[in-house]
Amino acid sequence: MLSSIRPKNRVIFAYLILPIVLYVFAVFIPLVTAGFYSLFEWKGGPNKTFIGFENYVTLMKDSVFWKSFSHNIYLVIACIIGQIGLAFIFVLMINSRLVKLKGIHRTFGFFPSTVSAVAIGFIWTMVFDYKRGILNWFLDLIGKHDAIKVWLNESGLVMLLISLPLIWQFIGYYMVIILSAISSVDKEIFEVAEIDGANGFQRAIYIVLPLIKNTLLVCVTLCVAGNMKAFDHIFVMTAGGPGNASMVMALYGYKISFAQQNMGYGSAISIGIFITSLLVIGGSQLLVKLLSKDKGGDN
Amino acid sequence: MAGKKTGRDTDSIIKTRILSLFMNFILLLFSLSCIFPLVWMFYSSLKEKRVFNADIMGLPKNPSFRNYIDILTNSDYHIFESVLNSFRTTVISVFLIVLFGFIIGYILARIKFPGNRLLYVIFLMGMLIPIHSLLVPIYVVFTRTGLGNQWFTLIMPYMAFGFPIAIFLVEGYVKGIPVALEEAAAIDGSSFSRTLFSIILPMCRPILTTVAIIQTFSCWNEFSFALVLIKDPRLQTVPLAMTQFTGQFSSDYTKIMAAMLITMAPIVIFYFVFSKQIIQGMVAGAVKG
Amino acid sequence: MKKKFLSVLLAGVMVVAMLTGCGGKSPASNGNTTAETTDGTQTQTQDAATAENTGAGDGAATKTDVAQTDLAYKGELELMHFSTSEESEGNGGSDGFRTVLADWQTVHPDVKLVERVMANDDYKTQIATLAAADDLPDVFLLQGMNTKAWAAQGLILDMTDIISKSPYAAQYDDSTYYPFTSEDKIYGLPALTGGTCAVVLYDSAKWKEAGFDTFPETWDDVLKAKDYFADQGIDTIAFGNGSKWQINSTFLATIGDRFTGSDWTHSLIEKKGAAFTDQSFADALKFTKDIFASGIFNADFNAISNEDAREYYISGDAAAYIGGNWDVSYIQATLKDTDLYDTTKFAVLPQPAGATASYKTHATGLGYAVAINSDVADDPDKLAAAVDFAYEATGPAFANYVATKYALGGLTKVENVDLSGFDQFTQDFYNYQYVDNKPCEIYDSYISSAVWDVLNTDLQSMLNGELTPEKVVANAQKAYEDNY
Repeated sequence: MLSSIRPKNRVIFAYLILPIVLYVFAVFIPLVTAGFYSLFEWKGGPNKTFIGFENYVTLMKDSVFWKSFSHNIYLVIACIIGQIGLAFIFVLMINSRLVKLKGIHRTFGFFPSTVSAVAIGFIWTMVFDYKRGILNWFLDLIGKHDAIKVWLNESGLVMLLISLPLIWQFIGYYMVIILSAISSVDKEIFEVAEIDGANGFQRAIYIVLPLIKNTLLVCVTLCVAGNMKAFDHIFVMTAGGPGNASMVMALYGYKISFAQQNMGYGSAISIGIFITSLLVIGGSQLLVKLLSKDKGGDN
Repeated sequence: MAGKKTGRDTDSIIKTRILSLFMNFILLLFSLSCIFPLVWMFYSSLKEKRVFNADIMGLPKNPSFRNYIDILTNSDYHIFESVLNSFRTTVISVFLIVLFGFIIGYILARIKFPGNRLLYVIFLMGMLIPIHSLLVPIYVVFTRTGLGNQWFTLIMPYMAFGFPIAIFLVEGYVKGIPVALEEAAAIDGSSFSRTLFSIILPMCRPILTTVAIIQTFSCWNEFSFALVLIKDPRLQTVPLAMTQFTGQFSSDYTKIMAAMLITMAPIVIFYFVFSKQIIQGMVAGAVKG
Repeated sequence: MKKKFLSVLLAGVMVVAMLTGCGGKSPASNGNTTAETTDGTQTQTQDAATAENTGAGDGAATKTDVAQTDLAYKGELELMHFSTSEESEGNGGSDGFRTVLADWQTVHPDVKLVERVMANDDYKTQIATLAAADDLPDVFLLQGMNTKAWAAQGLILDMTDIISKSPYAAQYDDSTYYPFTSEDKIYGLPALTGGTCAVVLYDSAKWKEAGFDTFPETWDDVLKAKDYFADQGIDTIAFGNGSKWQINSTFLATIGDRFTGSDWTHSLIEKKGAAFTDQSFADALKFTKDIFASGIFNADFNAISNEDAREYYISGDAAAYIGGNWDVSYIQATLKDTDLYDTTKFAVLPQPAGATASYKTHATGLGYAVAINSDVADDPDKLAAAVDFAYEATGPAFANYVATKYALGGLTKVENVDLSGFDQFTQDFYNYQYVDNKPCEIYDSYISSAVWDVLNTDLQSMLNGELTPEKVVANAQKAYEDNY
């Protein structure tokens, strides 16, 4: 890019070698090892039988895996809308002159992302609990007895219900990222926007959105990557149930590897998650690029 | 605006008021929902199990720290060693993630060399690896090389799995910084390393703060690696020590909450004490950048 | 090598003989019940044991009559188990295991027991990881359903001879070996306490008001009580299947036996022709589906754990509860000194209409065994230490402790347990478990985890009305053929 600041190759090498070695050791070798294991029928222990790509053939036909995949896609979409969308709106609000207690909102909003998934899952299980849950307690309070349900046992609702804690927990996380990007945007934009009330608010979105497009792209990528390997919350709240109604890929791979001790097939699932995630991420990048190109053309 | 009160102005003032009310209400609701669980967990942890089961929302009538005393005085949990281990592991990991994330992110953003993009993509792929189903290979790799079950064991995967997001964020950030400064420094005869640490580093402070915050919490709360890579109870981290409470045959919610709060305590205190500095520093730095 | 091993054994036998000759130190014979176990003294003993390193001859610090065998081995012995101090509060088996373990360490200060204790769920993940990596600890607890797979991999030591040469062999209950047997070899000493996996606890006062002097013997009669309890605003029976294994362990294993009989189960285990798709098993599933749809259980049975469900019973929100011995020990410790404690009685699962293969059975047995990593055999001294530990953790020291303190039984039989010192609750449960009813097999002590994982997941869907019993048995049969 710039010849004047380009250091010598050995300087680059010296800076990069240590982290790369560590990264390869802790991330890539296990992945490659999993790829190797996936070619075996292996039920744990020292004996393995080479079966070539048979595990992958099974995987292609495994309806539970593909159901889990669709659940991951559901989570990705729900979280892009819920996390990034809400975070963006909240950040606009916080930047508004009309809003008080800005510091409190920033501090409290980020707080849930500091808590472990186990605690979050625990708290939300208590929200959805049938007899002691906060949600049913509230429905009872407002007299909507018919609406009271065993929430986490509703196959049709369970994906929506488990995406709520995920969305809620990480809004603050994306708020911080968007906040730091937006703070470089000229303050006047917000002030101009506010005077006109709601219309101005809408306009602010249109003005600000393109300015922080790259940051949003970062957020979308993080969101896709995070949700394609979603595990912790669901493990705590439903363990994939009822039946497989909230099963996701990583949980399924874990179940096959550990609960069923089918390490060979479990490894094939890990590779499957990796490949499908790559495809989804690639697809989402392409999509965002296409969309932003259209927008660019308008201006 | 405040001068003449035409109908249109009143209308717009009311509109603004409603908007203001609405925005404040929504944000307040959200902020309260974020903090309420902490408050709820705290006062519930002071209840008796049976009192809690009868009424999960009510305040404790006879608050007692018994749950905390039970946990903290039980030598089986190695609680203080665990806090120390978690602290050491987190601090070292986060420092090294930030340092290397900064260096690699910068190099990948600014310097052309063959394989630059490939390296970037490879690092990014790390974000997609489902560690829960890779526990066996990870265990095998660490044990076969004798790197398992040491005081430094966990630092390695925490670093390696922390790199992708750090590099991703730093690379994007550095690309947004104009190159003029570095060119000027180079013309003044500043070496690459000097430019890197004395000029670029301060400019990257906000994004590095973000990375540090994110990684601090994920290292502190990490469980799966700790479970499979650490054998010696004296080396275990806090989340590992705490799992002993959720044994198969006992589920004492108030005690579990007390345990969760103990796990969270150092990090929560850290967060609330420094949150102003953390967030302000980040925002201020970003404006300069 | 073998000679040395034998001489150690012989020494062990002699020491035991001496101890029993002298009457030993009989542990707390005054029949105290579980309420006194929550004082945390076990932990103190253990600390004292490791800190003071009291000599082998000085057994004053031990709570049980652990044999003071001479062991040549000096060094570390890895041990992994799931009897956390949390769990040992109220759970007699865990308490006994921890206590013997601490005593064994006291008696053998030269052997350093390196313990890894974790909650049961984590234990299962961890032990599976270690097995896959061929890196099992020296001594650990083996789950029945892993026996065949791990034995085939050569991971675990064949303990058939070790068992027959045990100084306590004469007192062993041979029927407990079955889950840990593969091709006529036994791979572990069944550990902890034998306990029922399916028992109805019911509040006899409430049922009396509903018009039943004892718990109904048929499900049809249970259904008759439903409306009465619904009017009272409580559930007839509390059950929790949130983690999916409960329906299998604490319900289906017993109900299935009523429909299929034990020959079918044994044939399935030994691959002698029985299939999940057999009509009798499908009938059992159909019954299970219908009874859970009948409304006698709490509406959220599929979403909550057994721990939550038993709280419904404890708080009086359900008139009965179906669970396993682990639930009983918890409920006992919790209810102590309440009215409900006195009115709580035990009953076998009622008989389903149309089930004729067996009657009054309950799934029971020992789910775990002390197993030894096959690599330990390379070091005969270490093996002797590991074997000695296995003997003691399952032998008279353990059995007497849990018998006198909790009225529980394990691998080693204790003659003439004196029940008179125990309260009615403990006596009743002893009779329920060991005297009044017939045992049947616990399904998930056998076959393979893969099969049960598939079946349990489908069962949960079936209970929600989303799968038919026919589909469930077909899937289970496929998993059985693929994995076993």
